[in-house]
Amino acid sequence: MTRHRLGSRAFLLLLAAYFALPLLAAFLYSVATRWGDSALPSGYTLAHWTSVFTRPEVSGALGRSLVLSAVALAIDIVLVVPAAYWSVVRNPRIGSVVQTVAVIPFAIPWVVVGAGLQLVVKDTFPALFGSFWLLAAATAAIAFPFLYWAVENSLLAADAARLSEAAATCGAHPMTALVRVILPAIRGGIVSGSLLVVATAMNEFALAKILTGTRYETLPLWAARQFTSRTGNDPNALAVITIFTFGLLFALSALVVWLGRGRATASTMALTRTTEKG
Amino acid sequence: MTSPAPSRAVAEGALPDRAPRPRAASRPSPLPRFGRLVADWLPALPLLAFALLLLVLPAARLLNDTFALRAGGYGLGNVQKVIDNPVDREAIRNSLSLGALQATLSALFGVPAAWLISRMRVAGRATWLALMNVAANFAGIGLAFAMVALIGSTGMLTHLLGVSFPATSSFGGVNIAYLYFNVPMFVLLTLPAMAVLRDDWWEAAQVCHATRWQFWRRIGVPVLAPFTAAGWLLIFTWTIGIYAVTYALASGPQSVKLITLQIGSTLESSVFGLERAAVLSVLLMILAVVSTVLYRLAIRRATRWL
Repeated sequence: MTRHRLGSRAFLLLLAAYFALPLLAAFLYSVATRWGDSALPSGYTLAHWTSVFTRPEVSGALGRSLVLSAVALAIDIVLVVPAAYWSVVRNPRIGSVVQTVAVIPFAIPWVVVGAGLQLVVKDTFPALFGSFWLLAAATAAIAFPFLYWAVENSLLAADAARLSEAAATCGAHPMTALVRVILPAIRGGIVSGSLLVVATAMNEFALAKILTGTRYETLPLWAARQFTSRTGNDPNALAVITIFTFGLLFALSALVVWLGRGRATASTMALTRTTEKG
Repeated sequence: MTSPAPSRAVAEGALPDRAPRPRAASRPSPLPRFGRLVADWLPALPLLAFALLLLVLPAARLLNDTFALRAGGYGLGNVQKVIDNPVDREAIRNSLSLGALQATLSALFGVPAAWLISRMRVAGRATWLALMNVAANFAGIGLAFAMVALIGSTGMLTHLLGVSFPATSSFGGVNIAYLYFNVPMFVLLTLPAMAVLRDDWWEAAQVCHATRWQFWRRIGVPVLAPFTAAGWLLIFTWTIGIYAVTYALASGPQSVKLITLQIGSTLESSVFGLERAAVLSVLLMILAVVSTVLYRLAIRRATRWL
């Protein structure tokens, strides 16, 4: 074994340790009885895992995050699928316009999107200020590109233009063609795009913090409040939620990669994007 | 369908920069011109209106508020106020150096890691990809908590090694936390590019009696440089815009000052007036636009070899 080989092995080992250690520390915290001034906890228990989710503030926050994800996803599906479909079978210029708009949530920080929305809503639609619907719409807006890319890719892969032409030749109404022919053909794309939208909504912090704050406390907001409050915070509960959220996001990501085996690179990329901005 | 060349996947997955697709069935329509226009766009109108209202309008509003003066009219007064504010100057300086440092460190660790991973056998590569995915998924408040549990003043590693790490709310501490997801991100971004550098080229270079150094100097670095530059730009832009981890780690009064935190606290307190948030937001928008344009140039240059 050459020195070169040894060096690269050591480099990878250090990198792996760097990635594993914070997770390990959080996990140990979630099963520790007491963790005072020592390198390892003095005892282990599963009590935090069973008790955290029965606390009303935690189950409430989890429920609110799930509702937010579901509503944002519903908005995105209703808006994106017809647009992507029409772009592929009828008018490609729709695609170019949507791709241009999709650069906004891709490149511009979500704090900035939140700040802009706050300014618009404050004067123009005061009734929406701080409301759940504003947060849901904003979350749907930043997450829609993931669904659009996934749906458009699967429409192109399924050759939806030819499919709908064939359906039209057989006398099917465009709506019938969409529901009976196209949708079954692109189910995979819709599912992986939806998982990305849900992952974004479950983990989204900036918009929730700016737009609704304490009025609609999602799980990331609860975690942030626990973390920053100097008094009365419960590190074990926070550790449980940390590992739980991580497990959820990782499961979603694994599912997306598994669904898009052929185009794994693109989906991995899209997914990393959802978690990066948090 | 054949699988696309990997680096095209980078270009496509990352930014909507795809080749024009074959024109869809254009059937002659009996409708008059306006009717056809409506029929061409109608199913996309809800999405376009939604995006206009929730993404374009806020951006326009921020631009307007940046230059609109409280006394009426437009000018650079708000911008001047931000430039004159020492806290804002510090935040801008910190955010820019954080972005540049993170992008550089990510490239420094990410390029060798991606190279080594790309040359592994299938099992090793799958394991490492999973690990990178794990790390990239571990962001937000949870990461902040884990970092404090690991290297905080009573953290696990602090006790284990008996050393004191930089405070997690300091510039150094935030850097350690950010690298956790930026390095895997960079690896995932550049991994497909590593396949561009084909093994045949190294063999061809050896046939010509090239040394390893000459191979990297003349072939490896020139081919990989644009991909690295593209990854650098994305990490730079995204790092400057991160809010969740930053809020958890550094929202205290003694912590490092960063642009996103200043925007967030201004919106919540409104003591300084919201123009300040608008000016800082527009600064982030300008940075995002510039680096997106540069990113596209880099990708165009990078895909020359395909």
